[in-house]
Amino acid sequence: MGNLTESEVIIGVPGPDRTIQDSVNEASKSALKIAVGHLNFHYGPRQVLFDISLEIPDRKITALIGPSGCGKSTFLRTLNRMHETVNGTRAEGEVLLDGQDIFAIDVVRLRRRVGMVFQKSNPFPKSIFENVAYGLKINRMANRSAIAEIVEKSLRRAALWDEVKDHLHKSAYSLSGGQQQRLCIARALAVDPEVLLLDEPCSALDPVATAKIEDLLLDLVSSCTIVIVTHNMQQAARVADYTGFFLLGKLIEFNKTDVIFKNPAQKETEDYITGRFG
Amino acid sequence: MNFRRFTALLASVVAIVLVVIVVFLAAYAWPAVRLNGFHFLIDNSWNLGRQYGTPITVHGQEILPGAHYGILFLIAGTLLSTAIALAIAVPVGVGAALFLAEGVPPIMRSWLSFFVELLAAIPSVVFGLWGYVVVIPFLGHHLFPFMIKWLGFIPFFGGTPGSGYGLLTSGLVLTLMIVPLITATLRDALVSQPASLREAAVALGASRFETMWTVLMPAVRRVLIGSSILATGRALGETMAVLMVSGNALNILPNNIYQPISTMASFIVSQLDSAMQDPTGMAVRSLAEVALVLCLISIMVNGLARVLLYYEGRQAARIA
Repeated sequence: MGNLTESEVIIGVPGPDRTIQDSVNEASKSALKIAVGHLNFHYGPRQVLFDISLEIPDRKITALIGPSGCGKSTFLRTLNRMHETVNGTRAEGEVLLDGQDIFAIDVVRLRRRVGMVFQKSNPFPKSIFENVAYGLKINRMANRSAIAEIVEKSLRRAALWDEVKDHLHKSAYSLSGGQQQRLCIARALAVDPEVLLLDEPCSALDPVATAKIEDLLLDLVSSCTIVIVTHNMQQAARVADYTGFFLLGKLIEFNKTDVIFKNPAQKETEDYITGRFG
Repeated sequence: MNFRRFTALLASVVAIVLVVIVVFLAAYAWPAVRLNGFHFLIDNSWNLGRQYGTPITVHGQEILPGAHYGILFLIAGTLLSTAIALAIAVPVGVGAALFLAEGVPPIMRSWLSFFVELLAAIPSVVFGLWGYVVVIPFLGHHLFPFMIKWLGFIPFFGGTPGSGYGLLTSGLVLTLMIVPLITATLRDALVSQPASLREAAVALGASRFETMWTVLMPAVRRVLIGSSILATGRALGETMAVLMVSGNALNILPNNIYQPISTMASFIVSQLDSAMQDPTGMAVRSLAEVALVLCLISIMVNGLARVLLYYEGRQAARIA
């Protein structure tokens, strides 16, 4: 496969003519960050994810789209084991981060490496500074002077520094919705994660704030792998390098974003992106 | 009368009743205030005088010969027993609230919470009786000697255990009565914190304990202060339970935590009957002065709470 250009490499679901081994082989050539193999997920007696296998490339933006209740958020939350905070959940299958089984890694370390930003901005009722410093403090990652430095760096990376630098000690709640969401991104970035998971981060934001976050993601991807769940297909088309389409707990299709939107292989994908349902 | 006026009237009735009570109390106690002066607060000398003696006139007030009123020991007993109760109840209440809100499965939570609230509903005289029958023998015969043996080197922890009635016993019974107040209020506040706050902390690698301690507790700090103040009010004014376990000390200050005390509220009850025998009426007026002092202390505690909450609120607006 060495003679294929990058755009011709198909990363994703093993098809009829490809085996999982093929995918792994490909993955080892393109830089692979997370490999998910045969993931099944249950909420109590109800199964919500069915045999999901996909590979998330390093330092790319991967978007997960699909109608409400299709399991895309559940899938995302499995990637840093956030599902374990809910009683009665069960994930089976393999999730490898840089080849390591995430279920065998200490969960605190995992979550430091795989950060998360939520649908609704959820700053702590603390100052802007304290919010960003939180992860550093609880993980005892830096001393006092280093913390100030990292807070500034993280706020810069989240494109929020210029707006808040003069009132770092004001309440995080004094910020606008879009600023709060960027604060949450800065907070996640402060512990320098390798992967950033975003669960519909713009669903509560206006178009201007949304555009700022999308620009930010495009900047961040040079240093960090990004997985974003979105309801907004235009958003996936605008920012994502790869897109996965979920339907009823199954991964229907996963491919380069161009392919998914211009030339989807599956009928369901086409129906969804052309707005026939969902 | 329209609804607004009606509710305004109801609201003002409460305020008026409060003012009327304090004014009445002050007016009734006024002769005693003039007779006793400042010594009322700094002397340990409650003495009703010779009941069958001929009344004499002091400072223009008619009193029984030998009568003298000083209540330092009551102020000390009240404040110390309340302080002990708070010192134990706040950490216990916080722990219990955290456990109920975060630590137990939801089904058990509602049952345990129900029991905590039930504890708050038990009449204080029941606490008192239970303290009298069960707690005091245990404390006097087992716990206090044990504490003196092992903790006696700490100031106020050494000495003789006495019979079990006293300062620490009062503090413990008060603790039992105010823990449910703190626990129930704080638990409600914790449960109503949005799940998104917990998620945010957990996603940054916080353990369950770190999430509670660094995110949830700061978020409910105002509630903790408020409920502790309410609990303080309850402890300061508690009458029956303390009366039954305090040992009813007269005119002495405790020099260790095991000695008998009296509190202002319980003293009023225990002395009222004797005071009524005073033909000059000065004994009852002095008891009214005790009530007045208790009222003022409670009002000061509430005022302090307002100041704390105001300061905390400003700080919350600035930082949190």
